[in-house]
Amino acid sequence: MAKFNKYVEIGEPAPIFAGAEAGMLKVADKYNNVILIHEDIGSLGTDWFKKNAPSRIVECGIAEANASVIAAGFAAEGYTPYILGFTFAVIGRAYNQLRQSILVDHFNVKILGREMWGEMGVSHNVVEGIGSLRVLPNLVIICPSDIVEAEKAFVAMGDYVGPVFYRMESQVPPRIFTDDYPFEIGKAYTIKDGEDATIIATGYMVSESIKAIDILEKKGLDVGIINMSTLKPLDEEAIIKAAKKTGAIVTAENGSIIGGLGEGVAAVLAENVSASLVRIGIDDEFSQSARVIGASKDDLMIHHGLTDHDLAEAVKRCIIKRDKLKLPRK
Amino acid sequence: MSHSPELIKELEDKLLLVRHNILRIFEASHQGHCGGTMSLTEIVTALYFHHLKLDPGNCDWSERDRLVLSKAHAAESIYAVLPEVGYVPRETLDEYYLFGSRFQGHADRWCTPGIDYSGGSLGQGLSFAAAMALAEKISTEVNPPQLNVSAMDMPRLSMKYNPAYRVFCIVGDGECDEGQIWEAAMFAGKYKLDNLINIVDYNKFSIDGPVEQIMPLAPLDEKFKAFGWWVKEIDGHNLLEIVDALDLANRLYGDGKPKCIIAHTTKGHGIPTWENVHIHVARGQAMEAGLKEGRKIYG
Repeated sequence: MAKFNKYVEIGEPAPIFAGAEAGMLKVADKYNNVILIHEDIGSLGTDWFKKNAPSRIVECGIAEANASVIAAGFAAEGYTPYILGFTFAVIGRAYNQLRQSILVDHFNVKILGREMWGEMGVSHNVVEGIGSLRVLPNLVIICPSDIVEAEKAFVAMGDYVGPVFYRMESQVPPRIFTDDYPFEIGKAYTIKDGEDATIIATGYMVSESIKAIDILEKKGLDVGIINMSTLKPLDEEAIIKAAKKTGAIVTAENGSIIGGLGEGVAAVLAENVSASLVRIGIDDEFSQSARVIGASKDDLMIHHGLTDHDLAEAVKRCIIKRDKLKLPRK
Repeated sequence: MSHSPELIKELEDKLLLVRHNILRIFEASHQGHCGGTMSLTEIVTALYFHHLKLDPGNCDWSERDRLVLSKAHAAESIYAVLPEVGYVPRETLDEYYLFGSRFQGHADRWCTPGIDYSGGSLGQGLSFAAAMALAEKISTEVNPPQLNVSAMDMPRLSMKYNPAYRVFCIVGDGECDEGQIWEAAMFAGKYKLDNLINIVDYNKFSIDGPVEQIMPLAPLDEKFKAFGWWVKEIDGHNLLEIVDALDLANRLYGDGKPKCIIAHTTKGHGIPTWENVHIHVARGQAMEAGLKEGRKIYG
């Protein structure tokens, strides 16, 4: 049985959406300048706003380009707008609006991107999301890994002044953290220490990494897990520390390996420390539909090579590579 | 209601000063969006010297009128005004395009005091302006103005409150090809943003040629009307018509309709060389010829 660090206690599956909703209610209670920008797919805390502050729900309809700039205009007037949209629309359709009207002036707009893994098919499964956002200056990117972190990260986002993209995955991970887990923007959390290799994962792939640990332990491998829930700015210190310790890093994300977490980690390693690296993510291709029945049956995870077994194999390859290249480790 | 000849004379004097400053900007940069800048000079002059409620000493004053220059490539027209109303020293005119300058290539809220919107990617400003207008309504609803109402004031007040501020937006005609302009127009109609005044600089030319050939806009008035707007068409180079239209739009506050003033203008207006070739960006020989001609006319 794997030994996890403080604040980690694996529980039952619980949706990210519910954690984000709880976070929104706390933020709405704390700040009276929160405004919801709707794109005809509702929002978080909508019922609370309908009851307590109906004028602070602004419905833009299916017009994401307009909605993003409406958010910017409200931010210019001292409000903190939260836009919720499908990621392909809220950042894909409105990419230039996000860049020109929100990020250039560092407006305090929170963008909640709803990911649709599985049933909805290629249009709604945005493999390029993180890669397309990481290149944009002034933007903080958060991808919570469980319901507890979803809430904590949401509240931290509410306290932070500046634009944030908050990724809400549709895959349902188990509860990973205890209620007193401390989340901080820009700080990775080491879920488990390990001597042989380190998996650096984000979002849903954190729970997949936790499952991979069981497989690896049976092979006698002691592998660590780092939860990289802030994708920008990356916690470089945590990456360097792990690389120095194990010399074998596997990154795990359910988006394109181009431009995402893996490339971010690769850049940090290349400039700072010699280590073996294997990136797990979606190869340079679009996704498609698949019936996803929880973690027990997810054909997309199998197709894209993202399962716990794939991760365990990647860790083994990474260790072999490290030893072959005689890369240092503590 | 018409305005006094004295006011128009005063604005005409300011207009000469604005044109003079635009030439100074171009002399320093040797390049610029002269066509769309010159078509806007009368409108900008009327706004800044007669209409806008501003406090140059306090750029963040919450009750200042907002001006969103959606066609941010015509920033030179506003840069030419800013020193004259006290936002920046006059030497700033020579800094256009310089690294670190207050006068960037496109209007930039971050760099320039008195600029409300960072543009350059067309089609977005009207959305920004609409949000500012709706924010005024929401803020007023949350914190209604505390008015000291005496019996004598009652008839006037019963007409309606003035908004805490109004939001002015300037869009280009070519820019109206962008779908987002119409998303914003629909939005403003829905939320009855009668504190929003959009001015279309209808100079009839975009980069590739005449607007009516590139992407026909007519009937532009009917398009805005269909989205629930009040529309007024004017000669955008006639100061009297401009101030009359702006004042009329102001007086109609309370009717629940966003206002659109379609200003028929000429690209490069005021510099015959530029008017004839419908120039968008002048550089090299085209710029020098226009400057030479302009200096003869405006000193």
